[in-house]
Amino acid sequence: MEDFLELTVSATASGCIYALMALSYLIVLRPTSIINFAIGEWAATGAFVGVGVLTTLLWPRLDAPYPVAVAIVLVVLGLLGWAVERLTVRPLVKRGAPVTSPILALLGVLVIFRETLTLLFGADPFPSPPPLGYRRLEIGPFAGAPQQFFIIAVTLTIFAGVWYFFERTVWGRAFEAVAINRRAAALMGINLGRVTALAFAAGAAVAGMAGLLISPLTSAHYMMGLPLAIQGFTALVIGGVGRVEGALLGGLILAFAEQLGARYLPIPSGLTLAFPFSLLILFLLLRPTGLIAPREVR
Amino acid sequence: MIHTRFASAMAIAAGLLAGSLPLVQTAAAQDVIKIGVITDRVGSGKFYAEPVTRGIELGTKIINEKGGVLGKKIQLIIEDDQNRPDVSAAKARKLVDDGVVAILSNTGSPATQQAQTVSLETKTPHLTPANSADTLTTQLDNPWFFQTGPLASIQLATLMSYTKSRGFKKVAIVRDNSSLSQSFAESFRKGLEGVGIQVALEEVIPQGATSAVANLQKVRAEKVDAILQAGILGPEMLQFFRAYQQLGMKEPILGSYNLSIPAYLTMAKDLMDGVVFVDAYDDTKPEAKVFHDIYLKEYKEEPSSLPAYGWDGIHLIAAAITKAGSLDKEKIRAALASTQNFTGAIGAKGTSWSFRDGKRTGFDPQGAVVRVIKNNQHGPVVHAGQK
Repeated sequence: MEDFLELTVSATASGCIYALMALSYLIVLRPTSIINFAIGEWAATGAFVGVGVLTTLLWPRLDAPYPVAVAIVLVVLGLLGWAVERLTVRPLVKRGAPVTSPILALLGVLVIFRETLTLLFGADPFPSPPPLGYRRLEIGPFAGAPQQFFIIAVTLTIFAGVWYFFERTVWGRAFEAVAINRRAAALMGINLGRVTALAFAAGAAVAGMAGLLISPLTSAHYMMGLPLAIQGFTALVIGGVGRVEGALLGGLILAFAEQLGARYLPIPSGLTLAFPFSLLILFLLLRPTGLIAPREVR
Repeated sequence: MIHTRFASAMAIAAGLLAGSLPLVQTAAAQDVIKIGVITDRVGSGKFYAEPVTRGIELGTKIINEKGGVLGKKIQLIIEDDQNRPDVSAAKARKLVDDGVVAILSNTGSPATQQAQTVSLETKTPHLTPANSADTLTTQLDNPWFFQTGPLASIQLATLMSYTKSRGFKKVAIVRDNSSLSQSFAESFRKGLEGVGIQVALEEVIPQGATSAVANLQKVRAEKVDAILQAGILGPEMLQFFRAYQQLGMKEPILGSYNLSIPAYLTMAKDLMDGVVFVDAYDDTKPEAKVFHDIYLKEYKEEPSSLPAYGWDGIHLIAAAITKAGSLDKEKIRAALASTQNFTGAIGAKGTSWSFRDGKRTGFDPQGAVVRVIKNNQHGPVVHAGQK
């Protein structure tokens, strides 16, 4: 039982990271129909910006407190997301390019981000200081690292905020309207360009937070983006692209499948690598809309 | 007309300059001994290649301060092959074209293997002071190539000797899914089974994992006597140490020589105390103390074992040139091949390097040691040799 409770904390924390990555996909995908595989590199960038602010990596006098790092990651990644939309996606959309063109352009962005990180920081992994230190923390029957509990708390806060945005604000309704019918939304006076730019900025900020949160457990390194992008995409497919709750559910299901499988299934641990891909294929074949379907248009 | 005259004057001046250039170069070439270094400054081997190169640079500085070799200063020409076998040979060729009399290779064994094609063809003495692959002197019959780094088989035998001496009966192997880590794990398994120790399970932390808790819970459930850490990927090793700490585990951890790379101490800061690992450096050895004090004075930081490999490498080359008495490559090769009982900073106390019986691997089979990490530093030797 002790094992299961420890694993519950570990899998929930991992699931929250996958969920944030899925949410980043979803925020961009809903109003634009663009799958942005560069979010993995956004997460890596978030991790490096965080390490840069929290330590003396970038500047000898930095070493800033954690809330400052969070704010800077959100602002820097938001600006990067906005710039990517303005420089790569918008010109293609304006020219009437097919929807695959921005996806391919964003793959190019992925390479640019990764190579830039390598050039700036090299190939070495950088340790990232956690806000609550390293030790074994027990809360009731649950035990884990303080960072894992922190990840869970921050993720739930972000999801609550994004849910509120989509469900209770005019801007959220505008996003939903664009997702349902771009042309009709434009005719109703919604500024499509602004919605798209905001979607990219918010998506990048969420991915950057995922990178910042996971980096104390994995370190910040230039290769960290791709696995996160794959895990986030799988979580998105499992949960469904229509609703914010789907991203959270998909992330948790994926992480629990990975970690419970690695712990309890009588298979070599190397084969647990196949779990995300197996789930991805399974859901694409059997339930391509994911577990939580979008709301019906009223 | 003025333009024509000016152009003619410039052409004559350029011609004179061009004509005199070989003279200048020849004069410069006579003043120094050029030695080539192939390192990795940006790739996956940077972790270990750069500290080794630093040791070469320090050794060169000290040799030059003492008057150089044959009355000439050593000049290093350093090339970066990014630890890529497809680049390494091109870099070796460039060094030969630049006029080096010997090459030191510091990057990964596959890259060094590839660079050998050039040293063989151009008949250039070639030494790797740190590479450990057993096959470097067997895959290619290259009489110009020498290896003084501790062979992987020697390191493994030393670790197995330590494992047996501790009375461990049942162990777990934890690795990542990189090919090198898989190779380490296979060597561990063969070595352990060879000395009658049971491998209860082998756990793999895949690249990109966000937690190793499940892996280490399985290890904990097996109640093993020790864990052999065969991982090489930094982030996944960090996951291992974090989960180990989080689960409150106490099983001894034994690591490969990969853990002698100091970057891990930074990445997994304060998580590795008590971990033992194979190394080839005993800082109580007199030659190591000399190196240590000079390094500390120069760089104001404690050295790991890695710069000592480079330090020894350049000293061995310098000794060979001195013995050869000339810059003739064949004479330097012959001097290297006849090296006997060369005692450097690397190697257990009382051991030395020799190229005996035509072998081009010089590391003493009893020269590897097992060290323990203390206070987030590579600590004292707890075991030496294979006996």
